[in-house]
Amino acid sequence: MEEIYAKVPCRENQLNSLLDLLGEGDEPLPVSVFISGNMATGKSLCVNTILEHLRFKHVNIDCIECYTPKIMYEAILSGLHDDQVDMKCDSLWELMNNLNAYSTQQYSYEPIVLVFDRAERFRAMDQNIMCTFIRLREFCNLNICTLFVTHLIYDSFHFKMGVREPIKIYFPNYNKEELFKIIFIHQKAFVRHLTNNHEVDCGIKEDLERPELFANFLNAFLSVFYRPCRDLIELQHMARVNFVKYCEPIIKNEIKYNDLSKLWRHIAPILKTSLELLYLRINTSKSTAQSPAKENHEWIEPQSYNFENTLKEELLSTKTFAQSFELPYYAKFLLIAAYLASYNPPKEDKRLFMKNHGKQRKRLQQVKAKAKISEKLNTQLGPKIFTLDRLLAIFYAILEEKIGLTSNLLAQIATLVELKLIAGSKEIDLDASKYKCIVGYDFISAVAQTVGFNVRKYLYDFM
Amino acid sequence: MHEINASQLSTQIKLIRKYLKLKIIEDNITFRDHASERKHVYELITKAVLHGESHSALIIGPRGCGKTALINSVLHQVSKEADLVNDAIVVKLNGLIHHDDKVALKSITAQMQLENAVGDRVFGTFAENLSFLLSCLMSGTDRRCKSMVFILEQFDMFCHSTRTQTLLYNLFDITHSKQAPMCVLGVTNRIDVMELLEKRVKSRFSHRHIFIFPNENTENSEVKSPLSNCKEMLVQCLSMPLALGRRDLPKKRKGRKSIVSNEEVMDIDSTDSQYSIPEQILTKCRTDVKQFQHLEWAFLEDWNSHVQSLVQDQKLVDSLEKLCYYTVNEQIIKDILFQTVSKLSPSKPYIDAIELSNTIDETVSSEQRVKLLQSLSILELSLVIAMMHGIEIFDGQPMNFEMVLHRYTKFANANSSNQSVPRPVVLKAFEHLQQLEIIMPSKSTDSHTLGDTSTSRVQKEYKLYTLAAPVHDIKEAIKSYKALPTEITHWFNNTID
Repeated sequence: MEEIYAKVPCRENQLNSLLDLLGEGDEPLPVSVFISGNMATGKSLCVNTILEHLRFKHVNIDCIECYTPKIMYEAILSGLHDDQVDMKCDSLWELMNNLNAYSTQQYSYEPIVLVFDRAERFRAMDQNIMCTFIRLREFCNLNICTLFVTHLIYDSFHFKMGVREPIKIYFPNYNKEELFKIIFIHQKAFVRHLTNNHEVDCGIKEDLERPELFANFLNAFLSVFYRPCRDLIELQHMARVNFVKYCEPIIKNEIKYNDLSKLWRHIAPILKTSLELLYLRINTSKSTAQSPAKENHEWIEPQSYNFENTLKEELLSTKTFAQSFELPYYAKFLLIAAYLASYNPPKEDKRLFMKNHGKQRKRLQQVKAKAKISEKLNTQLGPKIFTLDRLLAIFYAILEEKIGLTSNLLAQIATLVELKLIAGSKEIDLDASKYKCIVGYDFISAVAQTVGFNVRKYLYDFM
Repeated sequence: MHEINASQLSTQIKLIRKYLKLKIIEDNITFRDHASERKHVYELITKAVLHGESHSALIIGPRGCGKTALINSVLHQVSKEADLVNDAIVVKLNGLIHHDDKVALKSITAQMQLENAVGDRVFGTFAENLSFLLSCLMSGTDRRCKSMVFILEQFDMFCHSTRTQTLLYNLFDITHSKQAPMCVLGVTNRIDVMELLEKRVKSRFSHRHIFIFPNENTENSEVKSPLSNCKEMLVQCLSMPLALGRRDLPKKRKGRKSIVSNEEVMDIDSTDSQYSIPEQILTKCRTDVKQFQHLEWAFLEDWNSHVQSLVQDQKLVDSLEKLCYYTVNEQIIKDILFQTVSKLSPSKPYIDAIELSNTIDETVSSEQRVKLLQSLSILELSLVIAMMHGIEIFDGQPMNFEMVLHRYTKFANANSSNQSVPRPVVLKAFEHLQQLEIIMPSKSTDSHTLGDTSTSRVQKEYKLYTLAAPVHDIKEAIKSYKALPTEITHWFNNTID
């Protein structure tokens, strides 16, 4: 018992109820159990640890791997039979036949558990299949139990009538203390990760291994990350990345390990910036551009600054990303024109882009329209489709100099489409082609800045 | 407690636990109430088996009211009275598994044990195949033809709306044309099942409906209250047969069962017999009765009185009443009892009334959606609130990410104490909500994505979503959310800003 609790920390209640339900020895199993809970709450870990502990015969079926019923049935059968490798099984009926044949070979009332991980995938299959598995025990003479593990709640499965309700167990999220406890268990691994990748003096190594240091770091880390993210896996990953940065000044003998306030001042901006990378899994260990510590260590070899790293750096913010395209001058204006065409209503074009658009007659309707509702803004409803004619008209309106319409210019539109900045057909059919700008405001304002153009001035929403 | 030491207690408890689990999970024969319906079904089957008459009937009743148990118990009884193995063939089909006609026919062949006779023969039509099977039964023996009992569970699944109902047509046709004595029993929970039948099928059906409704006792023509029914079931499921503990019983024979001696045992204590598991079930589960002989009679008596006292407990009665208010599904009640029994352990040898009522509460109103909402991070919950407000203002119109983000940033800027979160993280949180199906893509955008040209596709920021969680669930979740910042509660309560 104790070892299970040690292996699966902070899940005592769930472990107990699962253990109770499954019983021991040859006691009858429940018909089916439905286990739900948010991602990364230890559902599969609990189930597998318990089944290993009880030494029940069990088959794990990952519903992503078994994407057709046939593969799933065959996975079940090959999991049950130890020796036979190849079994053909096409339909539920054959599965039942095989299970019944299996039961006749059985002398005792051996418990068998089928675990369906990511059971939400069942919804992509015929509904009968899950209905049948929920009450599998009624169809075959085995002491069999089906466990469904999923991040969706039972209501989301939308069964038709006639489903036997399974016993439901819910896994709540880990709270802050539990997250702390769980990540803290792996303190040694974090330190090892650190010492393996850096050259560390012996004296400092001892300091790094102190649990207080890690505990302090975790407290600071969770105070920033707990709010937007509760996914243990992601938090663990981010903690690993950031712990290295936390310890950098200690390794370089700049800050003492027990100078908490200095360490906090060092890590706070780093945590803020790495918050932006949550879930994105961009490894920034080599290029810590925003880190103030950066200036102090130029010893990072310039050779390691390869293409991969530059790409990562460019992905860090929209601005650098926009600049990374290095578009030609006219292409930038074309892109801006495309953006304006997508986000402005066509009937306002005249007023926006022409010098002598005449006086606007103020009608009640327009006054009303002026009180814009934020949810109805074009920038929030998404880009609209525009034609090539309109794009070129806006392009010439915003471009101060006069240039001719050359094939070169048209080819640049095709390039923008190719780069996935504009959606549309690649070949330019001057009459029928329709386009849509698919870059965001941040991107376009970064582009506009490089050519000294104010996008906001020409957006209807901001007038 | 009697003078039982700890090790004895633990074996006693384990045996009781196992016995009760077996009884709750495996016993699909014991059937209570509905005497007249049961008699009706019993007559139909015996007429077919003994007198070679043909019948068809539909047994209709809500889920978990004991339809299958009724048939099982009737078959059990008939098998005791007649030679069911030699006189008749029982073919059981389930709509979930055999909804395909070809599969059904294969299964029929297998259950008639005629695979060899059919061999590699190829049949033109379904009817040809079926009549061949029947003729196989007729030849070979000198008697006319074996009676057949067809039991079609999930009958509604056989009524395909798209394909023709060949199987049903043929089966009902045989009951009409008297080719062979056959009894076709359909079991379903759909009351509108007749509308699903084809015209030609409907005309061949005998229109014999047997309705089973829970809590209806036609025997003495008074309606039993669901509560008393539930109590009865609780006692029935949890009580142990005292006969098990009697040492002076004749030793039961090992291995093969014999019905006669089984009934002898039953006769010893007829009130007691209703609490024991039928022998047939035990052999099916390959469980030897002998292992239960270590049960002490005194202990069992103690146990039964404990169960009786449990039913008297006012708190428990209240929660049972609540349960009946929600459901009368016997399967659910059995599941609850199973969970309760599985909590028995040597350190906790009695059923705790409070625990039982907790299990009931959890089953009837588990509120998993509320719990799911509570498991969201504060950022995700804020997005849900933002979306809820937006939908409230615009009267149920779906929203896209940009609108939600706009509302969220408006809130975040107003509260300086809030940590600002970068846009990609918010987008990720939004996608997370979508994965948990708290928000669902609205139908209208789906149809757009079908026309899959590059310009008509919508970027994910502009895809429209509706909130799938009802407002009162969100309210509930926020009310009991642990350590929720006050400004969020405040924001939630101030709808229009």
